[in-house]
Amino acid sequence: MKGLVSLFIGLFGTFAFSWVGLTVIPNLQIGALNPQMDEEGTDVYPAPKSGMAERGRRIYAANGCIYCHSQQVRPDYASSDIDRKWGDRRSAPRDYLFDRPVALGQDRMGPDLSNVGKRAPTEEEKPAAPPGTNAPATSPAAAQSPSPPANAAPSKAGAAGSPPGPPAAAAPSPPAAAAAPSPSPLASPNPNGVPPVYSEAWHHRHLYSPRSVNPDNEDSTMPAYRFLYEKHQIAGERSADALELSGRDVPPAGWEVVPTYEAKCLVAYLMSLDQSHPLKEVKSAPGAPQPAGSPPAAPAGSPAPAPPKK
Amino acid sequence: MTPAADIPLKEPAISAAAGDAEQLERARIDASTRVPVLMFYASAMVWLLIGTLLAGFVSFKLHSPDWLSDVSFLTWGRLRPIHMNVMVYGWGSMVAMGTAIWLMARLCRTTLRHPLLIVTGIWFWNIGVLIGVVGILMGYSTGYQWLEFPPYAAVVLLVAYALIMSWAVLMFRFRRGDQIYVTQWYLLGAFLWFPWLYAAAQAMLFVVPVQGVMQAAVGWWYANNLLFLWFGAIGLGTAYYMIPKVIGRPVYSYHLATIGFWTYALFSSWTGMQRLVDGPFPAWMITASIAATILTIIPVATVGLNHHMTMQGYFPVMRYSPTLRFTVFGAMSYTVFSVVGILISLRSTARYLHFTEASIAYSHLGLYAFFTMVMFGSMYYIVPRLVGREWRYATLIKLHFWASAYGIGLMSLMLLVGGLAQGASQNDPSMSFIQSVSSVLPYLRGRTVAALLLTISHFIFAFHFGLMLFGLGRTSTVPTFLNPVEAEGAEPHL
Repeated sequence: MKGLVSLFIGLFGTFAFSWVGLTVIPNLQIGALNPQMDEEGTDVYPAPKSGMAERGRRIYAANGCIYCHSQQVRPDYASSDIDRKWGDRRSAPRDYLFDRPVALGQDRMGPDLSNVGKRAPTEEEKPAAPPGTNAPATSPAAAQSPSPPANAAPSKAGAAGSPPGPPAAAAPSPPAAAAAPSPSPLASPNPNGVPPVYSEAWHHRHLYSPRSVNPDNEDSTMPAYRFLYEKHQIAGERSADALELSGRDVPPAGWEVVPTYEAKCLVAYLMSLDQSHPLKEVKSAPGAPQPAGSPPAAPAGSPAPAPPKK
Repeated sequence: MTPAADIPLKEPAISAAAGDAEQLERARIDASTRVPVLMFYASAMVWLLIGTLLAGFVSFKLHSPDWLSDVSFLTWGRLRPIHMNVMVYGWGSMVAMGTAIWLMARLCRTTLRHPLLIVTGIWFWNIGVLIGVVGILMGYSTGYQWLEFPPYAAVVLLVAYALIMSWAVLMFRFRRGDQIYVTQWYLLGAFLWFPWLYAAAQAMLFVVPVQGVMQAAVGWWYANNLLFLWFGAIGLGTAYYMIPKVIGRPVYSYHLATIGFWTYALFSSWTGMQRLVDGPFPAWMITASIAATILTIIPVATVGLNHHMTMQGYFPVMRYSPTLRFTVFGAMSYTVFSVVGILISLRSTARYLHFTEASIAYSHLGLYAFFTMVMFGSMYYIVPRLVGREWRYATLIKLHFWASAYGIGLMSLMLLVGGLAQGASQNDPSMSFIQSVSSVLPYLRGRTVAALLLTISHFIFAFHFGLMLFGLGRTSTVPTFLNPVEAEGAEPHL
């Protein structure tokens, strides 16, 4: 160690090397991506989330969901994420374009959530599924308000106007979406009045009482987020969004449990998580059952190989 | 106690004549650092106890999620980041700065100037940590690992840091003697790297936010560099001082130390992206970090060899000196920590260990088994020199050591093995996801037992430290040995 100057230059240089190498250069490479769109400028993916979903993201971060749930699907050669139906393809930087904070996750005490919104049952099946008396009234009403996929799809479709366009947008095609959760035993409604898995009503119930949605879930380590819900006396009519509960969770007669605005935002965020849209830079799993977006996306994605490649 | 006086456990290699002047000077330097360093230690101890209790909560709640979950600020997802941040900024950083300032003053052979400004800085730092903790409690966590404090808390921390460390660096200007000792390289590095790292991360995440996944890259770059270039550098620097000092023997090889230092700075600063293995990133970033992680074997081997050769023949001193016992445990854990780090970051093993509790074992090996144990060792050395008393009870020191050593050992084992069980089931698509959770649950319960051991250990140490702080230590010229030094038998080993 000759001089102080060389010591300082060394300290400075080594760290500058790491700073430039691991943050500045990657930022040049993937730090200024644009959404992908087809030639006509339609079929834009990803799109910014709704205001409610953005607020839900902050609730997701504030309550530490990120410590147990990841939001990234790894490629099939390195993991079984795709086999687990957590996604049809690996995640790519472009999927997270508008995410702030980005919630890639670091641990999986809970399942991956990259596509949890896409795995929700679609509107058509809903009336059939919920068994309870009040439930049919519950789910459509809840579904209408915050769900960004429901909001985003029509507006984009309107802008597109092209005949094959509308179903291709964000809305998952019914059969595939139904197929995704089906391998799990939860898919069929069970006698406890649990709503179809990954529907909004299901998320609310799961957040309120995680171990009640499925008898196999006894070992789930998810805490209940009851502070996101309110228990109050029923004034006149029962609220449309009141939770259907069972067992010990049932509120006393004349009372009901309703989600707060924060809970609705959080669920809106969860429902908005969807990476099913094909990306040019990532190929969807070849062997897997045809990805949801792919049949309609074929026309939209067809210009992929040649022109817009950078 | 005549035989003890001959054993170079306290102030080695001082000849009677030259020693007086030198000891006087040391006493003067120590006195100048007394108030700020003790304040650092006292604050750090308070945060350590808070963080330990939180750790117990967090560990218990992870396998018993319904306990105390109905209140927003007691939810697991808020207590966990508070635990981490309290340990990182409250305990770790404060004890690191206390030790570093004392070491710097000693090594520059100059008194600490403007201790009152540093004291102001310490207050600011405590306030900054408190603001951050309250921010997370209220639900303003930013959601980035180890950067959960809301950005306004970070501003307070940076101001406090500037107040504190500018004086530590200034001491360098007033140093006497040309020699720059190894420890000083590490400390200067840490002093310079930390503010850059922290400010760069804050700027790239909150001031001019980078897009999408780059936030995760910046976050992990920060977290890993904080671990290596801040805690790791101060931990290694301290070990380089304490080991030769206690056994009264120079470092085995300066040449090895140089190689170890520069390869450490170069390679460990490039790690971090391996925590994102197979994620949505260009493959080169992750591969570069994995390569850098593997290359850290060079500093690990050189530093480990250097410490080992310095200690060669002096290992029996660990029977007596609390400082040496803690420091050597920490230095050995540094090797374990790095080897585990290499093993879990290889792509072939990451397949089974990524997204599991094994990464938590890794962080704890670095922050606790290595860094915190070295810091405990340094406190056992420094505090008596600041308060003019010796540690009161050898039994308490022994209890502290064994509870900590068994606690962290059990914890790492539980999390590593549990992580392997969890990862193996996660990786097998024929098993339902919940089975992977079930497979790790017994290990998480074991981890709670480890947390209990660590809690006991920390409360014992806090009690002992409190006695010292209130002047209730032993008045003696001989330091407290862990075991009585026998009249014969001990000396030939030295």
